[in-house]
Amino acid sequence: MKKSSRFTRRGILKSGLAVGAGLAAPRIISRRAFAMDAKKVVFVSEESSPAAQAIYDAINKDFLAKTGITVTMEYPGFDKIDQRVATLIAAGTPAELVWYGDGSAMEVALHKQLAPVDDLVKELNIPENLRLVVDGHDRSIATSQQFVYGWYRSDLYEKAGEAPYKDWDSYLAVAKKLNNPPNQYGNLVPSSQKGASHLLMQTMMQKNDAHWFTFDTAKNDYVVSLDSPGNIDKVIETLDFLHHAHDFSPEAANYSWGDLMSQYFTGRVANSYYVGARLLQQVEKNAPDIAPATKPISLPANKSDSYYISVQGFHVGEGSNVDGAKEYVKFFMNHPDYIKWLHSVPLHIIPAKRETLHSKAYQDNPEIQKRMDVLNFIDSIWGKGKPSYYWDGDKLNPYVGLYENENLGGWMLAERNIAGRDSKSIIQEAAAKIRKKQADYIASNKG
Amino acid sequence: MAIGPALILLVATAYLPIAFALTLGFFHRTAFDPRMTWAGLANFSWLLHQPDLWAALWRSMVFTIGSVVFQIAFGLFFGLLLNKAILGRGLMRSLVILPYMLPTIVIGLVFNWILNPEFGVVNQILLQLSIVSRPVPFFGGLHTAMPSMILVTGWQYGSFAALLILARLQSINPRLYEAARTCGAGTWRCFWDVTLPNLRSTLLLIAFLRGIWMFNKFDLIWIITQGGPLKATETLPIYVYRIAFEDFNFGRASAACLLMFAILLAVSVVYFRYFSPTKEIEVGR
Repeated sequence: MKKSSRFTRRGILKSGLAVGAGLAAPRIISRRAFAMDAKKVVFVSEESSPAAQAIYDAINKDFLAKTGITVTMEYPGFDKIDQRVATLIAAGTPAELVWYGDGSAMEVALHKQLAPVDDLVKELNIPENLRLVVDGHDRSIATSQQFVYGWYRSDLYEKAGEAPYKDWDSYLAVAKKLNNPPNQYGNLVPSSQKGASHLLMQTMMQKNDAHWFTFDTAKNDYVVSLDSPGNIDKVIETLDFLHHAHDFSPEAANYSWGDLMSQYFTGRVANSYYVGARLLQQVEKNAPDIAPATKPISLPANKSDSYYISVQGFHVGEGSNVDGAKEYVKFFMNHPDYIKWLHSVPLHIIPAKRETLHSKAYQDNPEIQKRMDVLNFIDSIWGKGKPSYYWDGDKLNPYVGLYENENLGGWMLAERNIAGRDSKSIIQEAAAKIRKKQADYIASNKG
Repeated sequence: MAIGPALILLVATAYLPIAFALTLGFFHRTAFDPRMTWAGLANFSWLLHQPDLWAALWRSMVFTIGSVVFQIAFGLFFGLLLNKAILGRGLMRSLVILPYMLPTIVIGLVFNWILNPEFGVVNQILLQLSIVSRPVPFFGGLHTAMPSMILVTGWQYGSFAALLILARLQSINPRLYEAARTCGAGTWRCFWDVTLPNLRSTLLLIAFLRGIWMFNKFDLIWIITQGGPLKATETLPIYVYRIAFEDFNFGRASAACLLMFAILLAVSVVYFRYFSPTKEIEVGR
């Protein structure tokens, strides 16, 4: 009889455990390895247009030649970058650099996963209103910003004998006049639990001086004020305004940023909005005949002229190759191609500094020269906007993620416009949700 | 000896990660905090108190049952049709299997366009025929989104059911039909008394397998509706994804996965205990 095989059950299990430990070991080792690898930088960028990628490649090549540091790029996309950053941190391999919005970065900073960058902010003279200060230190080097504003078809306005809207009443009047479904709608009010809807609600709340939180000096903390006396009326007013505007909009129950652009350049809507000028770029690519008639305009104000600002910048991962990352940021911001990078989506990536906007180097671009009206418009509203984490007070509000992460503004719009609920109950439910999450957040972050 | 290396690979790449994911439910673990602290049953307690969990579970059941029924109906129809000697049967068999071969992303994008309220061909036809006066938001309506998702998944996976049913139909002894007709049975009685009993084990197997897969379905729903509008299509997998990647709480997401696993395990136990699939196959029914 043949002797039994060397591969017994016990032996296989032991081997399996050994292999498992062996597979886990590199991960454990790599936590230290990446931080110690002074010759590597992983750079995760939200901006992934082909033009931007080409510029990154060129700058990275020069950086490698100068410092010997290899930069590896990742482009997870606008919608997935938060998950990618979280996954890298959870895996113990934080990226050296992440370029994306400060709203998302704040969440990461609050969990102590962003390295302080005070030295760079001072050296590069970053504007005060674009700083992200968490736990007493700067956590972001702002490179650019985007504003939420409207776009309208001036040709359709002229044909209808209408002047551009100035306030809420004139906005609704012109949206109604230009509404001729199903071929053309007066405006676009996306009503879904997505970023595009949420930012519309956020911006219009700012236009109506309505707040999500208030700073309570007694508690030295922010408290939910969405449904507080006085403020709730403004939120109701905002929600009802957008509900009325929805009468002149396609159903838009699952619209995202791409739909805002495609509906506009296919000629379906007379008024739209976007967080920047990428909409114009898409119009020029897909419907060049209506591009000249596509004009920027502030979304209608009611009690305030403020608007949502999205600040983007470099963020350095805690526990990564911090020195290499900082060296790269300085190199990037001083590189001659920095202006070219701003031009990768002209007029969409707005410089952090106003003097850069005014500079000859920045304006020396055929796309910008063709649309100096857009640059002048951006200049005219400069400084009136606020990022969400400074909207409710001068102190950084660490709780904005509680409503931004699940696009609660979009949820409110969907409940009002799609489900048909009344504004007050929606706002009260939203406020209750945020309070519950805030209590949960505070409890889980104690100690 | 031959299976040793394969077993090691399976353990290392499948079972160990699964074990890690399932045990993570007993720990506090978020995306941004590398510490893992023991939570006991806290994650489960939190989950069971969330109305969103029960709502997602209900939607999962609606989606699973609706989709499986559609797939079986689709499979039965085409299985019976393709079992007959009709003209073009070979071509039709190839066409029927096509949806199953297409990548999910393609199906999602294509159906998004077909059923798009502004640009979709279905709405264009409905408007032209004056069946509707305004475009129908199939994936955007609170009451139409879930039926539309069921339709899409039913179409995609109905061909799987059709294949299995066709294979079983072709193994039914034709003498059973001869005997039934000799006794005066018509088409309907032949189907009810001969075809269906012979298909029972196959239909149950399809219902079981497709049920598990539909209960775990994430990709198509995420591609088309992302669980919207207003969570109308937010099934358990979508709900788990949100906990993991919107709240960035991996501990709670894992706990929810464990709940899903427990539900499917219970269903599997019931299936194998009460339907005895191996016995049915042995009896040759």
